[in-house]
Amino acid sequence: MSGEVEISIRDERSRAPVVYDPWLLAAVLALLTLGLVMVYSSSAICAHEKTGDGFHYVIRQLVAAGVGLLAMALAMRIGYRKLARLAYPLLVFAVGLMVAVVLPGVGSTAGGATRWIRLGGFSVQPAEVAKVAWVLYLAYSLAKKREKVATFSVGFLPHVAIAGMLAFLCMLQPDFGSAVGLVFLLFVMLFAAGAKMSYLVGSVLVALPFAFHAVASSPYRMKRILAFLDPWHHRQGSGYQVAESLMSIGSGGLFGLGLGDGRQKLYFLPEAHTDFIFSIVGEELGLLGVATVIALYAVIVWRGVRASLAATEPFGTYLGLGLTALIAFQAVVNMAVAMGLLPTKGLTLPFVSYGGSSLVVMMGAAGVLLSVSGASARVAGVFRRALLEASG
Amino acid sequence: MKLRVRLVGAAFLFCLLGVLARAVSLQVFERDRLRELAEDQYVRQVEIPARRGDIFDRRGVPLAQSVEVDSIWVDPSLLGDLGQAAKKLAPELALEPSELEARLSKAKRFAWVKRRVRPEEAEAVRALGLPGVGLTKEPRRFYPQRELAGQLIGFVGADGRGLDGLELAFEDELSGESMRVSGYRDARGRKLLTDGLADSIERRGASVTLTIDRHLQFFAEKALSRAAEESKAAAASAVVLDPRTGELLAIANHPRFNPNTPEKSPPEGRRNRAALDTFEPGSTFKSFVVAAALEEGRVKPQDGIHCENGAWDIGRHTVHDTHSYGWLSVGKVLQVSSNICAAKIAQALGRDALVDYSARFGFGERAGLSLPGEGKGVVPYPKAEIAVATQAFGQGLTATAVQLAAAYGALANGGVLMRPYLVSRVVDPDGLALLEGRPVEVRRVVSAETARTVVKMLEAVVEKEGTAPRARLDEYKVAGKTGTAQKADLVAGGYSDKRIASFVGLVPSDGPRLVILVVVDEPKTDVYGGLVAAPVFKEIASAAMPYLGVAPSSAAPVAQERPKPKPADRSASRPLSDAFLKVQAQDPVTEQVEKGTVRVPDLSGEVGRVAVSRLLAAALTPRLTGTGRVVKQEPPAGSLVEKGARVTVQLAGGLPPLRQ
Repeated sequence: MSGEVEISIRDERSRAPVVYDPWLLAAVLALLTLGLVMVYSSSAICAHEKTGDGFHYVIRQLVAAGVGLLAMALAMRIGYRKLARLAYPLLVFAVGLMVAVVLPGVGSTAGGATRWIRLGGFSVQPAEVAKVAWVLYLAYSLAKKREKVATFSVGFLPHVAIAGMLAFLCMLQPDFGSAVGLVFLLFVMLFAAGAKMSYLVGSVLVALPFAFHAVASSPYRMKRILAFLDPWHHRQGSGYQVAESLMSIGSGGLFGLGLGDGRQKLYFLPEAHTDFIFSIVGEELGLLGVATVIALYAVIVWRGVRASLAATEPFGTYLGLGLTALIAFQAVVNMAVAMGLLPTKGLTLPFVSYGGSSLVVMMGAAGVLLSVSGASARVAGVFRRALLEASG
Repeated sequence: MKLRVRLVGAAFLFCLLGVLARAVSLQVFERDRLRELAEDQYVRQVEIPARRGDIFDRRGVPLAQSVEVDSIWVDPSLLGDLGQAAKKLAPELALEPSELEARLSKAKRFAWVKRRVRPEEAEAVRALGLPGVGLTKEPRRFYPQRELAGQLIGFVGADGRGLDGLELAFEDELSGESMRVSGYRDARGRKLLTDGLADSIERRGASVTLTIDRHLQFFAEKALSRAAEESKAAAASAVVLDPRTGELLAIANHPRFNPNTPEKSPPEGRRNRAALDTFEPGSTFKSFVVAAALEEGRVKPQDGIHCENGAWDIGRHTVHDTHSYGWLSVGKVLQVSSNICAAKIAQALGRDALVDYSARFGFGERAGLSLPGEGKGVVPYPKAEIAVATQAFGQGLTATAVQLAAAYGALANGGVLMRPYLVSRVVDPDGLALLEGRPVEVRRVVSAETARTVVKMLEAVVEKEGTAPRARLDEYKVAGKTGTAQKADLVAGGYSDKRIASFVGLVPSDGPRLVILVVVDEPKTDVYGGLVAAPVFKEIASAAMPYLGVAPSSAAPVAQERPKPKPADRSASRPLSDAFLKVQAQDPVTEQVEKGTVRVPDLSGEVGRVAVSRLLAAALTPRLTGTGRVVKQEPPAGSLVEKGARVTVQLAGGLPPLRQ
């Protein structure tokens, strides 16, 4: 985090340079870079075996990173305010994708779940798009409803209903992790927007039996829970990934085995370059690397919350907080899963894990978040200029 | 609202802190345990078995060796179409395709296709270039002398472990310590890399050097098999022993057995009968009764004993002789092998002395050859009068051929019983002797005078009037005794009409160098020891005497006066070794220049194990440093050193290629 990283884009309206939060930008770029390195380290061997090209995954990730940077720059350029107009269309689009993916013949299935839509050489994960669309919609909707947020019929029920629909679509894939994520985002934003605590707590109590049913009715989810509770006992079966992940992270020690020297990626740890990339970070870079990653997410939370507080209108606040929560939720859950603190979810580590959709969407979200920070910085800059003029 | 936003941020930071705490706990406090668990799965202890040690005869001729051959295995998951693969592999390896396919389809990631294949088979499979097919080196036991001493050496199983004979008896020493090497592997079980794989060829088991002489063994087996086949015997065995040291020079068994293909022989064909099985020795036992009676002064050599004209009643039993005799001297009793007179001598000796002397001659006590399942024999206390009589002519008690030969060895060795032994040394690869066989005096059984008297009496056995004129040699004096024992009928009880014909001879009798015992089980043509077994003795002895360089008796009266060497210089000068001059001169490995002195062989460029075996063969003590090939040796090649001297060999460079 040394040095000031400033990217200035001339704002057409104000003709003044827009200063985006350099901390936030640096944290995102640092995670992105680390991700590229770790994707290469964790995938090179199995990529070479599978495709004959050790760079197979890392090149795809580089392309996605490029697209992601474009998306980020675009979002910063457009500015989050203009996105308000896109709130409904984007939500409809996302819902459309979510419906499409579960239609027979559209979605592509991997690992027993239909979560991807193939478009040419790339595949899109509708749930990733839906998360951003959902945050944008909530920010717009909550900002518009203002005081009515506290009411049940206007502020609470419609959002819960839409969340329920989205969660249901997720469960059709099935994608329990994303469903939980969407509901979680709803609660965070309702809470921040001033929803009554009684509604929030009450709905959690109502939702619990459904969640329990969702878990208990699905053998694989049940297994995951059991594996989570005692990974070593289920080491040869459902607890395999978690046990391997714990061994990876644990054997890293303070300073790690050294970049590229991890052993667990030699097929012991499945999906080492996607959902469990954090384990390889832990193994190869040790506590030092793990702490760095955690610190970078902490910076994002800190600066994201700061930006959202500094936003000049509620929409910016809600949007900033929602996007921060989206990134932080995924990060915390992914790392907690890798360290056996939560049952396996299938959520990626933002900016780090291999996966085009996730990376592009997350970079886009980061761009919007940066735009929120930039707006507040610009406002701050305007104030400073006004103050200077007044004093001068 | 701002408070709530801050709360959300704080909550996330708190969660991140929790994640960090967990990371600290895993990576600091649980690190060792988790790392160990992780290493358990990717660090594979690859066990590299030591190369099984060789078995040599007394001159370093290998009787059992280990060679490395290819074994073929597959990872069926990489093969693709199993049926196709099996169709391609099977014809190259003389396997049945359908059977092979069935076997491969049962395995997931590993299956042997065929182990220890011939080089051309390995080459053919390599040429097929099928994915998932691998070749790995495995040691195969090889017995270069084929049937020679087959039952004695024993054999190994498919896993290379000794299953019988010396291979089993010295399993621990021969197999050595296998080496464990850490190698990394991936989750699919493939070996990725191995650190510090030492020179596996240098990891060897100990070598075992026998007292057996390959040539004497060959003479014995050849003569024995011919006689056994001519007489249509069920089985036969022969023991050749140096009476002065107790060294067993040959242990031959018929039918013969090739340890290279143990599966082709029935279990009874693999038995080392000479060492393991007990039998009733019959009349050969009379010599010991006579020796005991003479020693105890119960009879004098010139005493006359009445042989009851061929039939003598003891209680309700009747003892018979083959011919009827009247008065016979003690020597005559042995010469014509009178059962009745032997019984009378035994009566004169008394029960207790009879049992006592049997034990002193080593009967009823395991000879201690360290062979698994070695027989012990039983000499029951003869309570009944008839039992005393029958024991006198060697019925009603049992012994192994080795025991019997060793007991005659005591008579030949001036009355001192030497412990028979088979293994002269077991040397580990570092040159350390784990076991050294030395001549051991068990006890003095009878006085030298008594022993000489009995041997003299036994010389008459091979005369024309004796029971074994066919054992007579032209150039060497022979003393001997025949035996024709009735075989106990295990089914009906009592004795059957089956016989065990035997002959034991001492040659030359005026200074015995060898005791040769021949036992023929159930001969069908002639049943008498003098007719069946004595010619075998003659054949072995007439080949062995010149081979050992023993001067003919008439021309070498000095030998008659051979002073009995003290035990100490006996072990130092290995009585047989001086006699090897003739043979060893042609054999560069054991070139012997002067008695007790050897020339150091030139070892330069040899791999360590070859250097060791050559040094052992030259009766030198190897001492190795380093790995690889010999670059330096001390003392240098060609120098004359004391036998048993230490030769330091420095090995370097040229690690053999790593084997997968």
